[in-house]
Amino acid sequence: MFERFHQESRQAVTLAQENARRLRHDRCGTEHILLGLLDQRSCMVTRVLTGHGLDYERAYRAVVRLTPVRRATALDAEALETIGIDLSAIRERVEAAFGPGSLDRDPVTTRNGLRSGRHIPFTPQAKKALELSLRETLALKQKGIRDGHLLLGILREGRGLGSRVITDAGIDTGALRREIVAELGQDQGGASRA
Amino acid sequence: MSDTAQLASDAGSRDPAVGLRAVRALRILVDRLEALQVENARQQGWSWQEIAHCLEVTRQAVHKKYAGGRGLLRREK
Repeated sequence: MFERFHQESRQAVTLAQENARRLRHDRCGTEHILLGLLDQRSCMVTRVLTGHGLDYERAYRAVVRLTPVRRATALDAEALETIGIDLSAIRERVEAAFGPGSLDRDPVTTRNGLRSGRHIPFTPQAKKALELSLRETLALKQKGIRDGHLLLGILREGRGLGSRVITDAGIDTGALRREIVAELGQDQGGASRA
Repeated sequence: MSDTAQLASDAGSRDPAVGLRAVRALRILVDRLEALQVENARQQGWSWQEIAHCLEVTRQAVHKKYAGGRGLLRREK
């Protein structure tokens, strides 16, 4: 079904995988597809969601918060303090460079292999959302699956963490749907007139 | 006792339980930092040789630790 995907949608799926990898998750869910969309700073979905106060950084933090982490060995702040090392200061700097939680994950060395570039399997919800994005495209009588259709698919699926992140950000999904549909209509209008 | 003096006394503590625990904590911290930095270096296109040189270890050592299997970090130099 990926042959119907526009460039930005393919890119969203690729970036979804990359985000799942970055988060050390072993499944790629709707939340990663959402991050894959927001990771493209210039796409329509990013513009609309950012307008509603949900940007990549905020979504990433929300995903970190909502997903169980493979519990890494906790860093022993107390013991480090006995030799004069302020762990919170180190964490602050490391997170500024490598993102929230980066110091609190087990390093991925070769033994657990999660860092590999292989395909990370989609969750059933993510598969459903991708299918639904095709259906949304057809329902709108449009041809290619654009970033907006992917977001509509995530919203329609409704049970994945992707839509949870959106509702948690206080965004009214009904209004968001209408806005996205309108944007997609405009894109389409421009293309068909040409 | 001032903070510094307190720290000095802890660091110099002859209690092995205190000292060894600190060493262990530090080692875990260093492992984390190393993994983050190696990953970052690879993403920026550094070769294993260059990374190994900075860490003052052999290229094989760093490669073996971080690049086995089908890792994303495994990009032929």
